[in-house]
Amino acid sequence: MSAATQRVFGTLRRVLVHRGALLSILFLLTLLLTTLLARWILPFDPLAQDYTKMLQAPGKVHWFGTDELGRDILARVVFGARTSLLTAAGAVTIAALVGVPIGLVAGFFGGWRDALLMRFVDVLLSLPGILFALVLIAVLGRSQMAALVAVGITGIPSFARITRAQVLSLLKRDFVTAVEALGGSSSYNMFRTVLPNSWSPILVQVVILSSVAILIEASLAFLGVGIPPPTPSWGEMLRTGKSFLHDAPTYAVFPGLVLTVTILSLDTLGRTLARVLEDRHEIADSPGKTP
Amino acid sequence: MISYVLRRLLQLLPVLLIASTGIWAMIYAVPGSPVAALVGENATQEQVQAVTERLGLDRPVHEQYWAWLRNAVQGDLGLSIQNREPVRDLIVQRIPATLQLGLAATLVGLLLGVPVAVISALKPGSWLDRTLSGWSALALGVPTFWLGILLILLFAVQLRWLPSASTYVSIWESPWQALRNILLPALTLGVYVSGIFARFLRASLLGELKADYVRTARSKGLPERDVIGRHVMRNALLPFVTIVGLMMATLIGGAVVTEAVFTYPGLGRLLIQAIGTRDYPLIQGCILFILVVFVLLNLMVDVLYAYIDPRIDYG
Repeated sequence: MSAATQRVFGTLRRVLVHRGALLSILFLLTLLLTTLLARWILPFDPLAQDYTKMLQAPGKVHWFGTDELGRDILARVVFGARTSLLTAAGAVTIAALVGVPIGLVAGFFGGWRDALLMRFVDVLLSLPGILFALVLIAVLGRSQMAALVAVGITGIPSFARITRAQVLSLLKRDFVTAVEALGGSSSYNMFRTVLPNSWSPILVQVVILSSVAILIEASLAFLGVGIPPPTPSWGEMLRTGKSFLHDAPTYAVFPGLVLTVTILSLDTLGRTLARVLEDRHEIADSPGKTP
Repeated sequence: MISYVLRRLLQLLPVLLIASTGIWAMIYAVPGSPVAALVGENATQEQVQAVTERLGLDRPVHEQYWAWLRNAVQGDLGLSIQNREPVRDLIVQRIPATLQLGLAATLVGLLLGVPVAVISALKPGSWLDRTLSGWSALALGVPTFWLGILLILLFAVQLRWLPSASTYVSIWESPWQALRNILLPALTLGVYVSGIFARFLRASLLGELKADYVRTARSKGLPERDVIGRHVMRNALLPFVTIVGLMMATLIGGAVVTEAVFTYPGLGRLLIQAIGTRDYPLIQGCILFILVVFVLLNLMVDVLYAYIDPRIDYG
C-alpha cells in the first residue's frame, strides 16, 4: 500500500470509530445503493399513476402509501434521493471549482488580489444563501440547471474562506518558506506545496456543504421554484403533501424523514472528519465547528 | 468610535453598490425586453410610456442605472406588475408581520438555546452534555419546513388546538389571537435558532471556564452560581453578540420558508409570490430591502460588539 492510501485508510478508520459517523456512513451507503438499484429492486415506477389508488395510507403493497395521483410514495422517495444527491454533487462541484481557486489566490498572493476577491465573496454573502438562490431562479427561470447553479453559487463563499484560511496558516510553515528559499517559483509553491496540503479542510467542507446543498435544494422545491415536476424531489413532495395533511397525514412524513436523516448523516460525518483531521493537525481552522 | 463606524460604513458601500447593481441588472438578464419585465405583458401603452420615461429606458445604460438608483434611494421602487400598487407600500405593509415573527422566534431560540448551552457547558463530556449537543445537531439539521409540517400535524390536525394556517394579528390589538397564530411559526423558526445559540454559547462558555479568573473566583470561595452568573456569563456573552449577525441571515432565510409553511403574510411570502408571478419590480424591491436591512444589521452588530468589549481597538 502506498503512503497516501495508507493515510486515507488511517483517517477512515479513525472516523469510523465514532458510532455516529459509522451509522451515518451506513445510512448514506444504503441510500446510495437503493437509488442506484431502484429500477431492479422497486416494484413500482415513481411516475406511474393509478387513479384507483389515490392518497392511500401506508400498507402492505405501498409501504409509504400513495400520493394524490396514485403514485407509490416509496418509489418517489427513492428517486427523490437521486435528485437530491445529484444536485448536491453538482452544486458542491461548482462551488469548489470557483471557491477553492479564489481562496488559494487570495491567500497566497494577498494584497490587491486578496482585497478584490474577498470583496466579491462579501457581495455573495450580502444576502442569505437561499435568497441568492431565489434571485438567480427568478432570472434564469425554473429548471434543473437553474437550481443546480443557484445552490452551487451559495457555496462559493465557504470554500473561498476555508481555503484562504488554510493557505494563510500554511504560508507561515517552514516547509513552505523552504520551497521559496530554495528558489521554487510561486506557481510551483502554490500548486505543488500549498494546495496539496489544503485538501483536508476542503474535503471536510465538501461533506458539510453537501448537506447544506441538499437542504437548499429541498427548500427551493418546497417553495415551488426548484427542479420542475414530474421529477421526484423531496422538497416538492413535502410541498404537495402539505396540501393533504388532513386526508393523508403520512404523505409528508416519509420524504421529510429521509431528507432529515440524510442531512444529519452528512453533517455528522463532516464534523467527525473535521475533528479527526484537526487532531492530526491537518486543518488549521476548524470549519466543522461553525454551522 | 465615530471614525470606526464611518470606516465600516465606507467598507459597506462598495458591497452595497455592487449588490444593488446586480439587483438592477436582473431585469436585463430576463429573456425579453426590460420594459416588458418591468410592466408585464398586458400593460397599456401609457404604462409602458410612464416606466420608459421614469427610468429612461430609451437612454444609455448608465443613465438608466442612475435613474433607477436615484428612485430607489428616494424609496420609489416602481409599481408592482400584478396589482399596479407601489412596491414600497406592498413591502411596508408586510414589515410588522415579519418583525413579529422574527422577534417571537428569537425569544423561543433564547428560551430553548441558553439553558441548553449553560447546562451542557457546566458538565462537558457528560451524558447530559452529549444529549443536549444532540439536540442542537437535531435543531440545526431538521429542515424548518418539515418541522413546521410535523407541528401542524400534531397541534392543528390531531389535537386541533391551533390553526394550521397562521394569519398576522398584532400582539397589541389581540394578544390571545396573536399568540395562537404566531406560536407554531415561532416555534418552527425558533428551534433552528436555538440550535445556533446553544452551539455557540456552549463553545464560548467552555472557553471562558478555562480562564484564570474563574479559578481565582472559585478559590476565593465564591458560590458556583456567582462564578457563572456574574463572571463567566458576562464574558461569554461578548462573542455571542456576533452570532446575532449570523442568526439574522438564518432568521431572514428561515422566515421565507416558515412563512410559506404557515401561509403567513410576511415579507418572505410576498417575495415568493412575486417570483411565482414573475413580478420583477416587486422582486427587485423585496431583495433590495432585505439586502439593506441585512447589511445594516450586521454593521450594528459589529459596532455593538466593539462598543461593549473595551478590548477591541476601533480607533
